[in-house]
Amino acid sequence: MKIDETIIAFDVEATSNEELISLLADKLCAAGYVDETYGQATITRETIHPTGLPTKPFPIAIPHADADGVITSALAFASMKRPVMFCNMVEPEEELPVELVFMIANNTPEEQVKVLRKLATLFGDPEKLVELKALAHSKSIMDWFEVELAHES
Amino acid sequence: MGRLIVVACGAGINTSTLGEDMIRERLEAEGKTDVMVKRVLMADIDKYEGEMDIMVSMMKVYREFKCPIVKGLPFLIGTRDEQKEVLDHIIRLLDEMDNQ
Repeated sequence: MKIDETIIAFDVEATSNEELISLLADKLCAAGYVDETYGQATITRETIHPTGLPTKPFPIAIPHADADGVITSALAFASMKRPVMFCNMVEPEEELPVELVFMIANNTPEEQVKVLRKLATLFGDPEKLVELKALAHSKSIMDWFEVELAHES
Repeated sequence: MGRLIVVACGAGINTSTLGEDMIRERLEAEGKTDVMVKRVLMADIDKYEGEMDIMVSMMKVYREFKCPIVKGLPFLIGTRDEQKEVLDHIIRLLDEMDNQ
């Protein structure tokens, strides 16, 4: 799963999850990881199947659509200046103030399963989420992901 | 006897892949080689009614199914212990089915 500095954003201000998803989709598109349809597909899917997660100590979200529109599997990331509201994946009527957004573009699920499992381990670890949120440079965020998502050889 | 576990999520590609992988790993460890695990889109779930023995859902399920429903959220955001609890529950359900 590709992750690079051009698809990492921090101190992001967005008034809605649509705005935030568009921002990350534009970055993914500019980097050549998705085509122009992926942002809208993700926004649409977010309204039907929301991706806010009640993680601790603060909620996160993992907006994504299916493989259509994905060119190369990649992970875009945004750390919010102020929380942006996403509906809860398991309780869609509930809104969660999301601090970190992991936008996934995946067209090779079998190949990505190790990375997904590492992400899940991070999502279940409050200390790691706090650590990630404290990072304030795209380079340091990038380096952090490289360490945390590295494949064991 | 062969069983089918279906893992359902919204896009059928990320969170269901996670659940599928963790369940497969546990089934292998238990030597349960006759249990199939399949990830599906929640939108397609009706097709599996009657065919699936256990449904694992990463999201809210709005109706009843003929089979037991297991909440898969811990696969995504749970601790190792919470994940183990869900896997233990799945194994227990399979064992109960075989003993019936």
